[in-house]
Amino acid sequence: MAQTKYLMSNGLAFSEQKDMETLRKKALKGWNLKGFRFMGYKLEYGEPEDVIYSIDYRLLAPDEEAEYFEMFSSAGWTHVCSEYDRHIFKAEPGTAPIYSDIESKIDKIDRLANPIKMVVLFLVGMMLAFWLLFTFASGIVQSVSRGIFLFFLVLTIPALMTLFATYYHRWKKLKERNNHSVI
Amino acid sequence: MKSLEQLTDSVFYIMAALTEPRHGYAVMNLVEETTNGQVVIGPASLYTIIKKLLNEQLISLHDDTDSRRKVYVLTKKGCDILREDIKRRKIMVELAEKGLERRWE
Repeated sequence: MAQTKYLMSNGLAFSEQKDMETLRKKALKGWNLKGFRFMGYKLEYGEPEDVIYSIDYRLLAPDEEAEYFEMFSSAGWTHVCSEYDRHIFKAEPGTAPIYSDIESKIDKIDRLANPIKMVVLFLVGMMLAFWLLFTFASGIVQSVSRGIFLFFLVLTIPALMTLFATYYHRWKKLKERNNHSVI
Repeated sequence: MKSLEQLTDSVFYIMAALTEPRHGYAVMNLVEETTNGQVVIGPASLYTIIKKLLNEQLISLHDDTDSRRKVYVLTKKGCDILREDIKRRKIMVELAEKGLERRWE
């Protein structure tokens, strides 16, 4: 039975690059990425691997998978694991990056941000609804809706922070594009 | 690629490669070889751009018998857009070339 351990993610919306670097350092010590776990990764102990990791977000229809993974493998990127719309690849150091142009990189951030946006919209909507209820209702309805409002408030704050983090990365990429349009 | 009037270099290269039917890997190879390795289109960028071009109907699926290597080709609309962008790029290059010629006269 292979030895496995759990590695916690720093949050892909916040620092995807940091996660990929950590995975590389772990692989150099023999802890190789095996799959996604709740808010993190599963590593398995084995031969040390000198590899770099990259992640992509894309929801694939069943008839799109073969072509998508083939493009990566022909470019030297081996598919490691997937979960829903997340796919991690590994390659030898020095392999050309999976994203070569800024426009596609921005699209990638948008694909990451869209589901977060939906969650934030839902939470803010619920929060507003219960805020109205506890402002205009009275008695038991008021105190119950106040509780629910606070519950949604607590969930909304980290969700908003995550969304802002993705917007920040997007803004940085836009600035990069405007400063020097190399590719 | 919100505005198609100005194609990015990556989009331009991919559309240029798809003037003839090709699959993704062939597009990557052609661009890399033609530019002597100066331009390497990453697989994620390639996939993103192919999906966009399909959406905008600038390319179409030519042959999908091999699901791992689907073949695409530029549509009529795609050809028109590519021609427009060639014009734009020619103006750029001519401006520079003429300027340099005058300078060394």
